[in-house]
Amino acid sequence: MAEASAANTQLLVRDLTVRFPTTRGTVQAVNGVTFDLARGASLGIVGESGSGKSVTAKTLMNLLPRTAEVAGDVIFEGEDVRRLASEGREHFWGVKMTMVFQDPMTSLNPVKKCGEQIAETLRYHLKRDRKTALAEAEDLLAQVGIPEPGKRVDQYPHELSGGLRQRVVIAMALACEPSLLIADEPTTAVDVTVQKHLLDLLDKLREDRGMSMILITHDLGVARGRCDEIAVMYAGRLVERSAPETLFSDSRHPYTDALLRSIPRIDQPSHTRLEPIPGRPPELINPPEQCAYAPRCRFARSDCLESIPDISGVAGMHEFACFHPANTDRGREALAANLAQGCTVAGLEISGAGASS
Amino acid sequence: MKQFILRRVAQLVLVVFSVTFLTFASLNLVGDPLFNIVGVLSGIPDEQCEAVARGEIEDTQSSGLNVGDCALIAQAKEQNNLDKNVAERYGIWLSDMASGDFGTSFVNGDEISDIVKERLPVTIRLIVLAQIVALGIAIPWGVASAYRANRGFDKASTVGSFGLLSIPNFALGVILLYFFTLRWQIFPSRYENAGWWSELKALTLPAFTLGLGLAATYQRLLRTDLITTLQDDFIHMARAKGMSDRHIMYRHALRPSMFSVITVFGVNTGALIGGALVVEQIFSIPGVGTELVEAVLRNDPPVVISLISVVAIGFVLINFFVDLMYGYLDPRVRTS
Repeated sequence: MAEASAANTQLLVRDLTVRFPTTRGTVQAVNGVTFDLARGASLGIVGESGSGKSVTAKTLMNLLPRTAEVAGDVIFEGEDVRRLASEGREHFWGVKMTMVFQDPMTSLNPVKKCGEQIAETLRYHLKRDRKTALAEAEDLLAQVGIPEPGKRVDQYPHELSGGLRQRVVIAMALACEPSLLIADEPTTAVDVTVQKHLLDLLDKLREDRGMSMILITHDLGVARGRCDEIAVMYAGRLVERSAPETLFSDSRHPYTDALLRSIPRIDQPSHTRLEPIPGRPPELINPPEQCAYAPRCRFARSDCLESIPDISGVAGMHEFACFHPANTDRGREALAANLAQGCTVAGLEISGAGASS
Repeated sequence: MKQFILRRVAQLVLVVFSVTFLTFASLNLVGDPLFNIVGVLSGIPDEQCEAVARGEIEDTQSSGLNVGDCALIAQAKEQNNLDKNVAERYGIWLSDMASGDFGTSFVNGDEISDIVKERLPVTIRLIVLAQIVALGIAIPWGVASAYRANRGFDKASTVGSFGLLSIPNFALGVILLYFFTLRWQIFPSRYENAGWWSELKALTLPAFTLGLGLAATYQRLLRTDLITTLQDDFIHMARAKGMSDRHIMYRHALRPSMFSVITVFGVNTGALIGGALVVEQIFSIPGVGTELVEAVLRNDPPVVISLISVVAIGFVLINFFVDLMYGYLDPRVRTS
């Protein structure tokens, strides 16, 4: 099975590490992230602000500032992406791999007409002449469901609503028929009513074109049902990776578990109290050699403070990085012991409420 | 758009009125225009002339034997409307001006419209050339500085541009003259106009004298604005679209970063119409600035006020175009 999947693998990320030297110390933004993406598949990367998900995406897109120190391998369709970056390779980003950004209000050039901005990609990479490119741009606008595309090509971004602008951004990203689209929180900045339309659109375009997608979001609900696989990131590390159904029904990492408890669910009775995750995300400058989640974790035992758990499990099925996973006997034992003491080894006070796992 | 232009034209009219009226009034309050026409005769008190007119005395005492001094004065007053008050005279001057009649010099009787026709084109050519030099240097320079901000080239540029900014025009002009005219004899030392080529050569050094300082100013402004623009999301988007750095700098970042440069460009161009004086003097260019100073020194109000009006109108017109440029640079300005 591993052989079969290797042939079909489009993107291979191995032990990706990104550091930013600052005056206060080195920020360890991404630590040893490893994942594969099959052709035509979609991966959701979920995490809170500062978990390293956007930095991971920017590394793939070669958008990091020059000061960033990157290590590890990124192989896209057999090509070493990091080598392409240092060679200054043209016609790769924007053609094979593209990205959609979070805020459509700012990610379009305010002084260029929408049609021009889409046509620019076609002219630059595919050497289309201006007229053909503009006609294709109009066609793309129609494909992303923009009404009156003929009128929109001649409008400036500020004349469009946020939802329409994000569609323009998507059209722009799709212009050269990329085989991988990275969507970095594509719906965070738009209206809730528009969110679903945009996500459905991305799904449809992905299926129509056989394109793969990495969907980056802080919202587990967004990733569910739209991704073949979900990877949860915390403090620059992948902490759990599995198919969405498994993740939602049988999460292992206490962080994932806590995330699921913190979002409202339709099957719960109304007025059920949501459980916030205690504490704050860790500082990424000189973090201690311990599980980064331990200070906020209800399951933390002394071994959690001594070393960093590696991600392990059945590759491609369900992997997680935890010594005392939730929904397992080891986890239940750890939680019971912590409950008996009234606090975890990291000093987090806990009580019985909501300790059903 | 129509409203915008109308509002601008109204502003233009207002500015021209106030500038010319203030100049007109101040020139009439300080000094006596009559003196410039009839000389010492202007010292004859009005009562004496009235007495002569009534036949009470034969002639004024100050001029001794000259019969008809009073007639001379009366004629000068009538010709130049000096018998009317300042406001009236201003009105007359304004209506003449509107019909293209700038009047004549008090001192040498030259037609002022001829002076303007002769001087203004030279000044405009000098300014255009200076601005081409300035922008031609500043744009690539600013882009290169902002592209690798705070690195070697940028730091060297900062030193270089402050160096250029702190050299006064006259010093730079003299230095350029020394090398390019005296030592290497590439450019002429005086203004000459025997065809466009000789004029271009004659205006090259003055244009650089004015343009290098401007280039340094523009470079500072452009660099700062570009660094801000480069933080914007749409620049990341352009990079994600796979555009080269060069393409991004010139096609995406430059246009939204030109606001400060364009603003200062307008102000400088206006100021140079009458203010390129030092450079005009060094290179003996017969421009508006030189003529303006000469007219002030020889106490020639009609010339002074006409030239100042030309400068004021030019100033307002240029800034009107700058405002139009804002709309071109950022379409969001057009709608608001």
